Amino acid sequence: MNSLDITRGTVPGRLEDLSLELPQGKLVGLVGPNGSGKSTLLQLSAGILPPSGAVAWGGRALADIPALERGRCASWVPQDAQFEFGFTVWSVVAQGRYAHGDDGKGVEAALGLLDLEPLAARPVNQLSGGERARVLLARALVTEAPLQLWDEPLAALDPRHALETLRLARAVSRRGTTVLFSLHDLRAAHELDLVVVLHNHRLRAFGTPDEVLTPGLYLEVFGVRAVPAPGLSLELP
Amino acid sequence: MPPLKRAAFLLLGLGSILRGAPSAERVVSQTVGTDELLLAVAEPGQIAALSHLARDPEYSAVADEASGFPQLQLNGDAESVLKFQPTLVLCADYSRPELVAQLRRAGVQVLIFDHYATIEDAYANLRVLGRVLGDGERAEKVIAGCQRRVAALERRLKGLAPAGVIAPSTYGLIPGANTTFQDLCDHSGAENLATTLGHLVGNAPQPSEDMLVWPIDFVVVSGKGVAGALAPFRDLPPYEYLEVVRASHAVLLPPWVLGCVSHHRILGYEIMAQALHPEAFK
Amino acid sequence: MNPRVRISKFALPGLLTALFLLALLALGYGDMHLSPARVWAGLRHEDPVAATVIWQIRLPRILVAMLVGAGLSASGLVMQAFFRNSLASPGLLGVSSGGAVGAVGAIALGWASTSLWALPAAAIVGALLATGAVLLLARQGASGERLLLAGVALNALLAAATSYLLSEFTGPYEKNTQILFWLLGGLEDRTWEHVMIALPIVAAAALLWPLGRPMDLLSLGAKEAQSLGVDVRGLRRRLLLLSTVLTALATAVAGSVGFVGLVVPQVLRLMVGPEHRRLVPLSLLGGAAFVLACDVAGRAAGGLRLGVVTSLIGAPFFLWMLRKLP
Repeated sequence: MNSLDITRGTVPGRLEDLSLELPQGKLVGLVGPNGSGKSTLLQLSAGILPPSGAVAWGGRALADIPALERGRCASWVPQDAQFEFGFTVWSVVAQGRYAHGDDGKGVEAALGLLDLEPLAARPVNQLSGGERARVLLARALVTEAPLQLWDEPLAALDPRHALETLRLARAVSRRGTTVLFSLHDLRAAHELDLVVVLHNHRLRAFGTPDEVLTPGLYLEVFGVRAVPAPGLSLELP
Repeated sequence: MPPLKRAAFLLLGLGSILRGAPSAERVVSQTVGTDELLLAVAEPGQIAALSHLARDPEYSAVADEASGFPQLQLNGDAESVLKFQPTLVLCADYSRPELVAQLRRAGVQVLIFDHYATIEDAYANLRVLGRVLGDGERAEKVIAGCQRRVAALERRLKGLAPAGVIAPSTYGLIPGANTTFQDLCDHSGAENLATTLGHLVGNAPQPSEDMLVWPIDFVVVSGKGVAGALAPFRDLPPYEYLEVVRASHAVLLPPWVLGCVSHHRILGYEIMAQALHPEAFK
Repeated sequence: MNPRVRISKFALPGLLTALFLLALLALGYGDMHLSPARVWAGLRHEDPVAATVIWQIRLPRILVAMLVGAGLSASGLVMQAFFRNSLASPGLLGVSSGGAVGAVGAIALGWASTSLWALPAAAIVGALLATGAVLLLARQGASGERLLLAGVALNALLAAATSYLLSEFTGPYEKNTQILFWLLGGLEDRTWEHVMIALPIVAAAALLWPLGRPMDLLSLGAKEAQSLGVDVRGLRRRLLLLSTVLTALATAVAGSVGFVGLVVPQVLRLMVGPEHRRLVPLSLLGGAAFVLACDVAGRAAGGLRLGVVTSLIGAPFFLWMLRKLP
């Protein structure tokens, strides 16, 4: 249930003729310049954009999976969410259990993992950007979906929370979940299992970071030159 | 009034007699027109309440007479009518159907008047009400008196060329055919130019450009004095350009006349005829 | 959050009590001054005059007030969840404007006097046609922004149509008063027929109740809700249909009554939080109580129409709400 298979997926103007087959249980990074189609690919994979082409989860065609079951199979986190109403952090995270009958399972644990316990009773429309991002992640984790699709989850996070989230993602993928998430930090991308590179709405490369993230690709796709440099790299204590 | 309608109206009246003439009627009148009817035909003891405009001289021909009777309130609902414990309520065709239904459900007879443009309609309404109240003779007396006055007026105006008139308004609609104003003109030696030249029916938008060349002898207005009544028109096109307005050739009627739907309009006939054809009244 | 939890425990029984007391008050208050003894006698059909007043005049009015309030309030709640905006109101998509055109048309063309059912029926037809037009204009599924813009356009068009009807067909000034009467919104002389016309509001409310949980998810983002397992297209269709029916019926029997759908859900949300499983039943009860209270207050203030009272309360409240927004 945790493999993703896209066959000739096209979203007019945003993604062209993309085919991708993600194996299960991997931590996969999605990189590419702005506007290359990363968000679109994630939404397409999550089944919230109508594609022409075909999307399958774990071998099952998306179109054959009913709405509620989809909630159990895959979880999508948007780049940012503007919350209009003042649900508490706790109740928003608990919404992740909707497809499981609202049983509230794992909510406390997720809050702890994302360092949200002190905010559990705060209304979500009063949170900062980074706090909102963590709420969205907690909600995604709580769904226990074997396919996780996150759109720039690290963008709003401070360095410590970003590192913690990466560590969390790795732990989740080790348990068999497939995690596909987009990011701009190419150094962090080197630590992932697999990397998907998009360029001009097309799939440019797919493979291990060593195979894919070559200086040639950096220059061609990102327009930057990669040079080794001394300096600090950050890690969790 | 077309004969079929007239017949239906009379049957309505007869029908209530066949049900048995009611002993002590308590009548509530919902509109000014029916106030005037009621005061003409009913015993004072039969009148339970009059409309909320009954005492307003701007609208009511019987403002003084009405002051002795209770009044309905504006926007009143069925309950506010029922608290006078009526046996009969007089309404017009534009009264709210829900109100009429509620009153009938409370067991009250409701009489609806829907023809009131001409003096003949007014006579018919008097007759109907008279019969329903069990005093047809009184109504006939009133009608006879009216007919005498109208006939006398006709005699005076015989052979005289009608004067060209319009009833100007500040909101863009003037009365044409099938209005009480038309009826007023028909009986006072006047020609309603809105009908003959403008071909307007009912209250219709005024043909502002055409009006500039109509042979209007008088404008018919109402108010406290000619100057006051004409004031709003001195800055209003097309009236400000009309010679008749500039020269203040106006017939001044009491304010309630132009909207009057009862037999009291005859006073309006007389005032207007005298103003238009003073030579016939020497 | 604690105060909210405390309040929400008492909200339901509190509103039920308030509704009951208001109904009692409205039963005993009216132009015809009936003592409580006569009211009681009237209820038991022992005093014929009182019985007529109680059973034919006051009771239908109370029931219509409660149904209209519940319908408009629930409809406003649905619109706010649908558009993820607490300033949304039932009339956003042109339903009430359509009802207005239907009703004004019926009065102007003279059909309204033919029967008690004619005017509400015309209003309902107008409201449904307006909703159909909005959906047609928006097309491609009911996505929020397109729908909103289509609603704006349609509201403008329907307002023009109402003006046209007023100018073309209402020479006799008496029709204008009837139309104004309707446009101001009011509950005078409501009959048991009106109660029957408004009764499907109860059915619509019952259908709305189980949608509370998915509405929570929808109100925080349609795409997110989809990903969490909500059938968003189906939910939106159902919500739109229910909101339309609720608004159309309420408008058909009481005319244009504003601010109920805006004010009541918002106040309740501030008091008990945004969970729709609580808000749906509370909005129904709260709306019923609000309209009933406004009606009684209007009558006590000397015959103020319902639409006027709800606007007098709603408009300042709306402005206050705007101040509280970031």
